[in-house]
Amino acid sequence: MENFSNSIIIPEDLPEIETKTFDLLDKKYLKILFLWIIIFILFLTGAFTTFLILFDEKIPTSILIIIISILALIIAYSILITVFGFPKKGYLVREKDLSYQKGLIYYKLITVPFNRIQHVEVNQGILAKIFKLSSVKVYTAGGNASDLSIPGLPVEIAQNLKSFLSAKISEHE
Amino acid sequence: MNNIDLTKPSRQSIKGLIFIFFQSIRQAVRMFWALVVVLVIQKNLMDNKLIIGISLLAILALLIVHSVLFYLNFFFYVEKGEFILKKGYLRKKILTIPIDRIQSVNTKQNLIQQMLDVVALEIDTAGTAGKELKIHALEKPFANALHDLLSKEKTVNISSEEQKGNTIIDTKEKLILKLTPIDLLKIGISQNHFRTGLIILAFGFQIFNQVQDVFEEKAEEYSNEFVLFMSNSNWALITFLLVFFLVISIGFSLFRTLLKYYDFKLLKKEETYLVESGLINKRNVIVPHNKIQELNWETGPIKRQFGIYNLVFKQAVSGQNAKAKLVDAPGCLTQHLELLKTDLFGEDKLLETKRFYSNNYYFRRLWILYGWLPMILATPFFYSEWLFYGGAFFWLLASAGYCYLILKKHYFKINNDQIRISSGAISHKWKQMELYKIQSVEFRQTIFQKRRSLASLSLMNASGSMTIPYIDEKMAKQIYDYLLYRTEISEKRWM
Repeated sequence: MENFSNSIIIPEDLPEIETKTFDLLDKKYLKILFLWIIIFILFLTGAFTTFLILFDEKIPTSILIIIISILALIIAYSILITVFGFPKKGYLVREKDLSYQKGLIYYKLITVPFNRIQHVEVNQGILAKIFKLSSVKVYTAGGNASDLSIPGLPVEIAQNLKSFLSAKISEHE
Repeated sequence: MNNIDLTKPSRQSIKGLIFIFFQSIRQAVRMFWALVVVLVIQKNLMDNKLIIGISLLAILALLIVHSVLFYLNFFFYVEKGEFILKKGYLRKKILTIPIDRIQSVNTKQNLIQQMLDVVALEIDTAGTAGKELKIHALEKPFANALHDLLSKEKTVNISSEEQKGNTIIDTKEKLILKLTPIDLLKIGISQNHFRTGLIILAFGFQIFNQVQDVFEEKAEEYSNEFVLFMSNSNWALITFLLVFFLVISIGFSLFRTLLKYYDFKLLKKEETYLVESGLINKRNVIVPHNKIQELNWETGPIKRQFGIYNLVFKQAVSGQNAKAKLVDAPGCLTQHLELLKTDLFGEDKLLETKRFYSNNYYFRRLWILYGWLPMILATPFFYSEWLFYGGAFFWLLASAGYCYLILKKHYFKINNDQIRISSGAISHKWKQMELYKIQSVEFRQTIFQKRRSLASLSLMNASGSMTIPYIDEKMAKQIYDYLLYRTEISEKRWM
């Protein structure tokens, strides 16, 4: 918007975040996401069948069809979102900040400047352990909303990123 | 009492024992009152007086032992620039806080503490241990000494860091705002009665449910009567009920305002604000300027008539006790507001800058959310009743009006150092912050927004976040980049 620069003097060559230059997450992370979907499907069908067994009266087939098709839609949606949303997920380390983006339908980009990071954590879930992946979580003083977490990084990269960030934090103290 | 040595581990005031005892009784009552009610009502259990007597005595003895042990195992002292607090007898706990991490030291007094002439001292930190750092009962001189030590070391730290020729130190306390009983009346009347009403309603339902469990049969009788009464009643009665409800709400609001803001004083001393208020629970809060992340102020239709604003200083929080750390000053007049704004942000340069409104498309999204969605969800249940269609039409119109109000109040102003965001529907809220206090920035865009090249921004600071919804995508990106730049080049400490 042309008016915007009237109220604020924007320095020339303000560095822009190029969303295309983001590093993608490890491909193995997609497998983990799929495993979660499978667990989710198993859970859903399990819950549904127990409900059918425990429910005494006979349910009309029309309602059954509706319920099943809704479940199928949910599953199809989560699979599609996972597959096509995966290339959207990525992170970017710049000289002075760290960014993470995600989301196909609800796109979200969050950036934390290094001089606002409180501490850094490397986490590994059960599934991630099997695939030798870790996630890096960055804490700021802004509470949950402003924390940033990058999942699906190979263990080595995660460790490197952590020590890089830790070094940056101590620079600013 | 002159030689108060804070470097040695010391206990609370011996009177604290009484306070701890009362508090544990209160906790026990709070936990078990429902059980007690049930026991009292089931009469056959009450017959055996001996058992009841013995169990009461046993509980009392347990509470006394707990209080004594808690008291004996509660120590605090200052060592090598760290404040250390030890507590617990079964599970021992040692809390250590570097003094320069302490955000503020507050003293409070509730009724018991006032009677015992002791004060509670609360230490706020940016960490999560904040809530635990509370000393319940201290003799006043002791509390003052500790308070001074913890805050003094702080000011020394700051002044050694930022010696920029600011030699004129005004150590006198300056009164900024004092609320008279008439002010309290105005504040009470201009509260959000709708919300108060809902609280009363929820509270009433809770009591009703609990009572219902006990008197199950009778309750059914009563509720049947109530339904009968309601179906026979006419509009006059409903109006009467509404008025009655409103009166109760206003009364409740007045009562709450009086309790919380009685004898309210906002003082300024050097670079800190001091807030004192309360009728039964006296609170005494200190807010250093540099701890303030965000200034919020608000006015509503009734408040505007009185010309008053409700002002909130938002400090850095640790998440859990976010509510507790809000320091508010209700009943500010325009001149108070302007004074505080200039105090915190300097001369108001945002006054003449352009307002950037949210895009009209924001209205559509809000209307779908508040208007159409509830209506569509309700349709399957009421579609056979003709009255529903009238109601639905009215609902859509009313929600459209409401969403229009929201859209008209959503704008922001920005310059090179500060941002001010306006929002609200019936009431009008403003939030203002220094750009360097930003912790992180977020850019959000749904596929629907992308089609219209719109986006939303969230700016997070240590006290929460501010959102700018539905603005031009390009502008959002520019602001995003600028905010990051502004934060990254900043050498100032955000607190």
